[in-house]
Amino acid sequence: MNSMNRRVRLAGLATCLLLVAVFVQLNYLQIFRAGALDNNPLNTRNIVLKYEQPRGAIISADGVTLAQSVPSHDQYKYQRVYPEGALFGQITGYYSFIYGTDGLENEYDAVLSQANASVTFPTDLQEVKNFFTNQPAPDNLHITVLARLQRLAASELAGRAGAVVAVVPRTGAVLAMYSNPTYNPTALASHNQATEQKAWKKLTSGPSSPLVAAAYRQRFFPGSTFKVITSSAVYDHKPSLANKAIPVLTGLPLPDTANQVLHNFAGEACGGKLLELFTVSCDTGFGQLGLDLGGQNLYDEARAFGWDRPVPLDLPGVAESFFPQPSTFVRNGGALAKSAIGQESVQAVPLTLAMDAAAIADKGVIMTPHLLGRVTGSQGQTVTTYHPKQWLRATSAATAAEVTKLMLSVVNSPNGTGVAARIPGVQVAGKTGTAQTGGPNIETWFVAFAPVPNPQIAVAVLVENQPIGTEYQGGTIAAPIAKAIIQAYLQNGGKP
Amino acid sequence: MMVLVLALTGGLYALANLGRVGALPANIVPFLVLVFALMLVAHVALRRLAPQADPVMLPLAALLNGVGYVFIARLDSQEASYQAIWTAVGIACFIGVLVAFPRAVNLERYRYLIALGGIILLVLPLAPHIGQDINGARLWVHLGPINFQPEEFAKIALAIFFASVLAERADLLATGTRRIGRWLVLEPRYLAPLVGAWGVCLLILLAENDIGSSFLFFTLLVGLLWVATGRWAYLALGAGMFLGAAVFALDVIHHAESRVQAWLHPWAHFATSGYQIIEGWFALAAGGMWGLGPGQGNPQIIPEASTDFIFASIGEELGLVGLTALLIAYLLIVGSGLRSAVRSQRSFSKLLATGLSLLMGVQVFVVAGGITRLIPLTGITLPFVSYGGSSLVSNYILLAILLRISDDNAREQALADAVVLEAGPDLYGPVAAASPTAVTQVVGP
Repeated sequence: MNSMNRRVRLAGLATCLLLVAVFVQLNYLQIFRAGALDNNPLNTRNIVLKYEQPRGAIISADGVTLAQSVPSHDQYKYQRVYPEGALFGQITGYYSFIYGTDGLENEYDAVLSQANASVTFPTDLQEVKNFFTNQPAPDNLHITVLARLQRLAASELAGRAGAVVAVVPRTGAVLAMYSNPTYNPTALASHNQATEQKAWKKLTSGPSSPLVAAAYRQRFFPGSTFKVITSSAVYDHKPSLANKAIPVLTGLPLPDTANQVLHNFAGEACGGKLLELFTVSCDTGFGQLGLDLGGQNLYDEARAFGWDRPVPLDLPGVAESFFPQPSTFVRNGGALAKSAIGQESVQAVPLTLAMDAAAIADKGVIMTPHLLGRVTGSQGQTVTTYHPKQWLRATSAATAAEVTKLMLSVVNSPNGTGVAARIPGVQVAGKTGTAQTGGPNIETWFVAFAPVPNPQIAVAVLVENQPIGTEYQGGTIAAPIAKAIIQAYLQNGGKP
Repeated sequence: MMVLVLALTGGLYALANLGRVGALPANIVPFLVLVFALMLVAHVALRRLAPQADPVMLPLAALLNGVGYVFIARLDSQEASYQAIWTAVGIACFIGVLVAFPRAVNLERYRYLIALGGIILLVLPLAPHIGQDINGARLWVHLGPINFQPEEFAKIALAIFFASVLAERADLLATGTRRIGRWLVLEPRYLAPLVGAWGVCLLILLAENDIGSSFLFFTLLVGLLWVATGRWAYLALGAGMFLGAAVFALDVIHHAESRVQAWLHPWAHFATSGYQIIEGWFALAAGGMWGLGPGQGNPQIIPEASTDFIFASIGEELGLVGLTALLIAYLLIVGSGLRSAVRSQRSFSKLLATGLSLLMGVQVFVVAGGITRLIPLTGITLPFVSYGGSSLVSNYILLAILLRISDDNAREQALADAVVLEAGPDLYGPVAAASPTAVTQVVGP
C-alpha cells in the first residue's frame, strides 16, 4: 500500500511537470516570442484590431464632418463614413482594409487612431465605460478647409476637369482644394471586400485616376501664369530690364533654332515695358525678357518660388512643379524663351501656383501650406494647434510690391487679360494663363490674390481641355471662378 | 469559496460583454441567478450526499466551467445557450452519480458491465447512420437531436474497469511466474482482460482516427499498471508500444500524418494544416502577460476557438496570468484527486482515483501541449472549459466519482479512528468519553 502511494505521488509529480512544461512554453510564446509573432506578416490580428476601433472624425473649418466612424454591427464594429462624399475625397483620402489609407487618413493616422487618444478623466457613464474597457475616445482632426468654399469650387468647375486651390497667404492655411475628377472614398472603406475591389478597379482603370488629384498630384503647363515668376526674376536679377522697351512684334525669331518663330496669341502684335507686356500677356516680349535674363536666373527664381523641390503640404504624394535645369538652355535659346512664358517643358502643380500667388501677396514669403488646423480631444478640448511656419522666401518685399502692381494692372487696366476678375470695392491682383498642350485643347489658368494691400486669400484656378478660341481664355473661363471664390471668402471677412 | 467563484464568473461575464459591445449584458441578472442556482444545487447536493468530500474540487470545477462559459458566450451566443443546458445536465449527472453510488466500491461490482458499456460507446461512432466524421475523425454519434462524443464517457468506464481488474490482480501482475529463458514473465491469462480491453479500444480508435484519445487511454492503462505493480518495465513497454503504434498510424492515417507535419513545420503549412496552430500562437502572443482583457481580443480568428482552441482564446484575453491560473486550477483538482488516492485504504478506490486524476491532468497536457506545440495537436477538449456537452457531462461524472472516493476516505478514516478509540480507551484516557458521539456523528445517516 505504501509503495503504491509513493507511485501515486510520483504520478502526481509527473503530471505537475507536464503542466510546468506547458507553463514554460507559454512563457516562451506569450512573452519572449510575443513581439516577433505580433509583427509576423501573416498575423492579421493587428489590422483587425485597428479596424475594430473607432477613429477620430475629420472636421472642416466651418464645422462640417468630413469623415467619421459609426457603429457597424459587423465583425469590425466601426464603419468609416464620408458624409461629404466626393467633395472632400481627395483631401480626406480613404481608409480601406485592402488598399490601406490615403490623404489625411494616411497623413494623420496616428492622430485619428484610438491608440494615441489623449486620456482625460472620466466624467460621465460613457467615459467610465471607455475607461474600463480601455477605449479612450479618439481625438478629432480639424482642418483649415472651408466646406462652403470647397462646395463653391466644385459648383464653379461644374464638372469640367480642373482644379481650384485657395490659401491664406499670411499663414499657408489651405481654404479650398478641389479638383475634377474626384472620387467618393465610401466604397473603398467598405467592409465588403468585393465592394472595395470593384470600387478600386473603377478608380484605377480610367486614363486619369481620380486618386491622383489634379490639385496637388498632377503637373500642367502653366502658360502665362509663369510670367509672374519671370517678372519677379527681372526685379531680382536684372531690374533694368523692367524699364527696357521691348520692340513691338507679332513673332519673335528663336535663337539656336531652324528659323522657328514664337508667335503671340491670335497673331497679335505687342511690346513695350514690363508693365505693358504683363498687362496684355505679351509672349514675344516675355520670350525676349527670358533670353535677356538667362537660364540660371530664371531657374533660381523658380526654385525660390517652390519649384523643383518637395512641397511640405501635410498630405501624402504631393507632386513637385518642374522647371528645367539651366544647363538644358545652353545653345538652346528657343527653349529658354518658351520656358519664360511657361511652355516647353515647364510644368506646374496647381497648388504651387497658389503658393506663388501667396508669395507675392505676402511680401515675398511662402508660408508652409497646411491642412491641419487643430486636434481636439473627445471632450472638445484643444490638444494641439497648428502654428504657421515660413517655408521659403521667394523674393524681396520690394519685388513683391512691384509684381503686385503688374498683377493689379491685369485686372484693372481696360486692356488687361483678367478684367473678368474685377470685384467692386476690392482690389484684385491676378494673372491669366492659356497653355497649349500640343493637342487640340488648351489649359486655362487664373492665379490671383485679394484684397490689395492686405491680401487675405490667394487662388489658383485651372480648367482643362478647353477648345482653342480667339480670346485669352484664362481670363474668360478661369478668372470668373477665382473671382467667385475670392468674393465668397471676403464676404464674411474671412470668417467661416 | 463558491461565492468567490460566482463573483469571479459574474464579473468576467460582465467585463467580456462590456469589452465586446460596450454595454452590460442584458441578461446579466438571469445569468447570475442561473449560475448561482446551478452551483448552489451542486454544492448542497454534495454537502448532503458526500459531506466529508474534498471541499476544493467542486468550486474549482465551477470556476473552470464559468470561465469556459464566458468565453463561449463571447464567441458564439448560440453555443453558449447549449453550454448552459449541458451545464445543467452535467450537474444533474453529478448528483445522479452521488445518489446512485453511495460508496465507490459499488462501482466495482459492475465492472464487466461498465467495460462492455465503454466498448459499445467506443464502437458507436463506427455504426452506420448514427456515426459522423468531423474534422477527419469519426468521433460523433447522432441520436435524434442529440450529438455526442462517446469516447468522453468511455474513458471513465475504462478507468473503472482497469482499476478494478488491477486492484484484484496487482500482486499477480507484479511478479512473473512463467520462465522463458532467463526471464520470468507474467502468466498471460492475468493480463488478458486488460490487454484485450486495451487492444479493442485502440483498434477502434485507429479506425476512428482519434490519436488524442488513444494516447489518453494508453497513458491511463500504462500509468495504472505501473502504479499498481511498481514495475518500470510496464512504462518502458507501454512507451515502446505507443511509439510503434504511432509510427504505424503515421503510415496508415493521412489525418495523423498531416497533424505531425503541422507540428514539425507549422510555418511551412500555414495555408493548410498549420493555420490553426499559428493563429493560436498569434492569439497567445497578442495576449502577452496580462491579456487584452475580456471581450477585447479577436479569438474568433482561430478555427475551433470555442472548443479545441479555447485555451488559446483565453490566452489572448486573459494572458499568461489567466492561463497560469487555469493550469493551477487543474493542478489543484488533479492534486486533490491524487490525495484521495493516497488516503484511500482500498486498492480499487486508490487506482480509480489515480486513473481519473491522471486522465484529467494528461488531457489538459494533451490540449495545452498541442496548442503550444510541445506535442502534435490532437482534437480533444479542455475539461470543463471547452464547448461541448459530452465533455462537460463526462467531466462532471468524473468529478462526482473523485468526490465520492474522497468522501469514502474521510468516513473510513473516521471509522478507523473510532475503532482505535473504542479498542484502547486506556491509551487516550478521558478523551474516550467523547468517542461515542464522534462515532455517531461520522457514521450516522
